[in-house]
Amino acid sequence: MTTTTSGPEALLSHLHSADGSATFSYAGYTIIGAVNGPIEAQRRDEIPEEAVVDVVVRPAAGVGGTRERHLEALLQSTLRQIILVTNFPRALIQITLQVTVAPENEYVNTKVVQANTNLPMLPALIQTAVLALMSAAIPLTATLTSVVIAATTEDGSNRDIINPTAREIEKSRSLHVFAFTSHGDLILTQSEGEFTMKEWEDILASAQQQCCPNTSGDVNMGDDAATGADLGTFTRSVMEAKIASDLYWK
Amino acid sequence: MFLRVICSPQLPASSSQIGRKNLIWVESNGGRYIPAVGDLVIGTVHHSAADFFYVTLSDYTSNATLPQLAFEMASKKNRPQLHSGDLVYARVSLANRHMDPELECVSPSTGKAEGLGPLSEGMLYSISLGMARRLLMRKSAEEGKVVVLDELGSAGLAFETAVGRNGKMWVNSKDMKTVLVVGRAVTETDEKSLAVEQQKKLVRKLVKEMA
Repeated sequence: MTTTTSGPEALLSHLHSADGSATFSYAGYTIIGAVNGPIEAQRRDEIPEEAVVDVVVRPAAGVGGTRERHLEALLQSTLRQIILVTNFPRALIQITLQVTVAPENEYVNTKVVQANTNLPMLPALIQTAVLALMSAAIPLTATLTSVVIAATTEDGSNRDIINPTAREIEKSRSLHVFAFTSHGDLILTQSEGEFTMKEWEDILASAQQQCCPNTSGDVNMGDDAATGADLGTFTRSVMEAKIASDLYWK
Repeated sequence: MFLRVICSPQLPASSSQIGRKNLIWVESNGGRYIPAVGDLVIGTVHHSAADFFYVTLSDYTSNATLPQLAFEMASKKNRPQLHSGDLVYARVSLANRHMDPELECVSPSTGKAEGLGPLSEGMLYSISLGMARRLLMRKSAEEGKVVVLDELGSAGLAFETAVGRNGKMWVNSKDMKTVLVVGRAVTETDEKSLAVEQQKKLVRKLVKEMA
């Protein structure tokens, strides 16, 4: 399954009972996201001045475990920064993300040693959540774009791989996930493995170029660094098509 | 310049709200109904208490309150008896993010019902918020491009409808078949995004099947 090379695909508002929904496929992942809200929060959960954002991640097989709880915590704290939570005090915005397809060889050893493979799924989850939120017409301050980059050493030279495969992740020295808002601000960074501050800064720069090509004035990196799809433009065109089909009668 | 863009199925009812600077409203069709003052809605009575009816506007949201005296000619001795599950056509009189919405079935200036009040009999259909908005337009045929109801009427069917901004449509008629045909015509127009010509075709087909 080499979906890494094919472009991102999305389907919006296809679930009928949810307020908003999106299916997003990219880099070997297919995730269905559903958003409900603003709805009534449980009395014990409600926050007097803000909306509660509840994220549920369900894996492709089995029930969620600590791995999913970790992803949920990361998503929750990221998303509530872009959702206008103060607009819906005492309400609940529920985001459910169901992974339906994960890259085939993701479970390399089949045994559950997953603590170190949390991150590669994060960009696809973030993208799905943002699309589903927009489908539900939840007011947002910005949209997000996210990328995962693996730092590897090949024949003594360093190379950064955007959207690495599971095998490349296994061989890599370190793995990094970055998310940027549509204004070009860094909103989420997660790293694991061994790296120096200098390496991290270089990877951050290439992530920025990948996620917000318009805001960073640099030219394309060229050479061997494979560039992924421009997710910002993708989100924009998906939304444009959605609005156009909503307003077919105008 | 910082531009704030709001994607919403609910454009503000009064034009004064549009005047805010650097703000663009982009109309869309999805999402949940968020009450706004002046909206006409169809609610389901959840339960009644001493002074209020508690009314559900959409699933899983907190109930709106409808004072028992906010009906035409209502007094302490003569007030409508509504039970759990009954439908009311009401106007949102208070909507505020910190409080539950409040409804009224009477115009506060004239004291008249103006078409609002309990909806008895008939059937309730769920439609998309965008469709509700189009049906509620003053010239729904020209501006909203929905002609199903006009076409059904000119096909000789007798029925009455009420449309709630919260994505509900109530249909009533003496003939049950007519209720079903009207409901189906509108929901199908909504789900299949039918254009004017297709709507006319659908109505002709449905009326033919009915006879």
